[in-house]
Amino acid sequence: MRRILGRILWAGISLAAAFSLGTVARSQGEPVNSTWLVIASVCTYLVGYRFYASFVAARVMALDDNRATPAERLRDGHDFEPTNKWIVFGHHFAAIAGPGPLVGPTLAAQFGYLPGFLWIVIGATLGGAVQDFVILFGSIRRDGKSLGQIAREEVGKVGGFTALITVLLIMIILLAVIGLVVVNALKGSPWGTFTIAATMPIAVFMGLYLRYWRPGKVVETSLIGFVLVMASVFGGQAIAQSPTLAPWFTYSGVALAAGLIVYGFFSSALPVWLLLAPRGYLSTFVKLGVVVLLAVGIIFLRPELKLPPFTRFVDGTGPIFAGKIFPFCFITIACGAVSGFHSLISSGTTPKLLARERHAMAVGYGSMLLESFVAVMALIAAASLQPGVFFAVNSPAGVVGTTPAAAAATISGWGFPVTAAEMQTLARDAGEQTLFYRTGGAPSLALGMAQIFASSGIGRALLAFWYHFAIMFEALFILTTLDSGTRVGRFMLQDMLGEVWPKWGQTNWKPGMLTTSAVIVAAWGYFLYQGVVDPLGGINTLWPLFGIANQLLAAVAFCVGTTILVKSHGARYMWVTCVPLIWLVVVCFVAGWQKIFSPLPALGFLAQADQLAAGPQSADTAALIFNARLDAAVTGIFLVLVATILIDSIRVWMGILGGTRKAKSTETPFVPTRLAEES
Amino acid sequence: MRAFFRAVARIISGIVAELSDQNAYRRHLAAHGAVHSPDEWRRFQDEHAAAHSRRARCC
Repeated sequence: MRRILGRILWAGISLAAAFSLGTVARSQGEPVNSTWLVIASVCTYLVGYRFYASFVAARVMALDDNRATPAERLRDGHDFEPTNKWIVFGHHFAAIAGPGPLVGPTLAAQFGYLPGFLWIVIGATLGGAVQDFVILFGSIRRDGKSLGQIAREEVGKVGGFTALITVLLIMIILLAVIGLVVVNALKGSPWGTFTIAATMPIAVFMGLYLRYWRPGKVVETSLIGFVLVMASVFGGQAIAQSPTLAPWFTYSGVALAAGLIVYGFFSSALPVWLLLAPRGYLSTFVKLGVVVLLAVGIIFLRPELKLPPFTRFVDGTGPIFAGKIFPFCFITIACGAVSGFHSLISSGTTPKLLARERHAMAVGYGSMLLESFVAVMALIAAASLQPGVFFAVNSPAGVVGTTPAAAAATISGWGFPVTAAEMQTLARDAGEQTLFYRTGGAPSLALGMAQIFASSGIGRALLAFWYHFAIMFEALFILTTLDSGTRVGRFMLQDMLGEVWPKWGQTNWKPGMLTTSAVIVAAWGYFLYQGVVDPLGGINTLWPLFGIANQLLAAVAFCVGTTILVKSHGARYMWVTCVPLIWLVVVCFVAGWQKIFSPLPALGFLAQADQLAAGPQSADTAALIFNARLDAAVTGIFLVLVATILIDSIRVWMGILGGTRKAKSTETPFVPTRLAEES
Repeated sequence: MRAFFRAVARIISGIVAELSDQNAYRRHLAAHGAVHSPDEWRRFQDEHAAAHSRRARCC
């Protein structure tokens, strides 16, 4: 009887998924309620988890709860510790969910809400979650080793080294682009700048409080920190309204970028307990709290989507970033659908905490589905804005015109009516000077979130507060990614230099620490500066570069995953990882090729450099030409690196499948578990 | 129903304890056979920081 009821239930969920996906897809021209997107995504995730993830867990990976995990075998009370499944789930989710699933879908909404939505849901179910799951599985079966180590052992030395370089380069581009998102959100905004600036002394205060006054009281310290941050959100309003104080916190993009670069250096060089750790605690709790708040807001308030399912910009003429829907929709949304960066987390702390092999399904596959749902919520928040407002906020002055009247006329001419007066009223309600040209995704997302929260009835008059609360939330954990990323990049560079001269590998050697911190900060700072001075707003250049890099890292992870599967089962199940791998390789190489060689100056880096070279010359033009050529070179390097690991992997697969190479796996031998059933 | 809510509360407090490093600190105390003190907490912070700051956070 239970079995029959179960089948009826799953048939109902499957039908609900199909019906709601159909409703969303067929809604040409009619407004769609966000509830359909929520139902379609949740039901698809449930079906994917119940059937596809179970299939992969049982048949492909043959997860075995009788096999002791590294957490049990190597238990040391530090890194390796068998932990409750849902606690590991929370830990893993907090590590994978960053600003990407919020910003990417917001930017990709320039194509309309439908392409991004379908890619987020289908990409996560068949690609992103599979990647996270397979790499987590591979790491569990290999003593919790990292992606780079697994690549070196399973694919070869070339693959391992390539993976390391790729990760370092991606990190640099990632830090630059998220820095740019923060700069664009805070440019000319004394309220936002004060609030974010205040989080730095608050974090230092928390660090000192936790170190000397109340050692060990992390939750108490985080609560105090949260109260202080909320006070700074309120205080920011007073600052913005004060004619004396407002100029103190009103900065240009270049000045804010310089501030971020200095901050990045100090966060890498200062003791972790003073700045990084307290900021990390605060940001993690705020992040989880706001994600829950946004989910509750969307589920209960059911905002209507005002953006159309498709816009005219599917043809590649979009103002936010150039390029057609294929491949650029799939590049712009990486986190939330498929994110290569997750493979670093899945082969980092998480495999060292799993008590049972089968927990990998909920943690690896399930966490990614939850992140995908966060991306859906971000898309809903952005798509619930009036299209004219959405494009006015996200379009750079270089595309729509340098005055509000010109920008409003251009955007209205695209068929998305908006007026300068309407934008002025909205900016005043949001407590800002202007909302034109606030590129980067963060301000429009904050506006969408603020409108959802403000429509609850209890907070309609608080749009300005909600807007700055959302900006604070986005900037807080973007900066957390920035400071921890800078430090991780510094360690990676020290590790690499340490291979040549061991002294550089010592992380406590001050000259090495300061030099490598400066090199990493200078690297991402250069790209950040380049984005800030870009006449097209920088996002047009940097976000696709980051998307390509992140998806290429996913391709590296799928190469490693396919190698593991080929060694275990031959060709039988290699489609599980090969299908997403082929898709990503095609998407990334087409996007990369277009970014380098497209004859359109808005899209191709080299064409842009040629166009600039043909015009009047100045020092600024020379810098822009150099930057465009540098971006082309960086994209080319990414493609060559991934082609290298891909060719190396194919060589290994063909050798194994053709019988000319032994399928030598580095999987650790079976050891029976001694853990009690309840763990 | 009460059991369900108790289980949910236990999981949430477990996640908070994990994210706030309370569990890691407890493991540290057990591994070193130590009891909580300000100096022990600082020792934990310094040991833990080295590993913690090498962890990438995703984008």
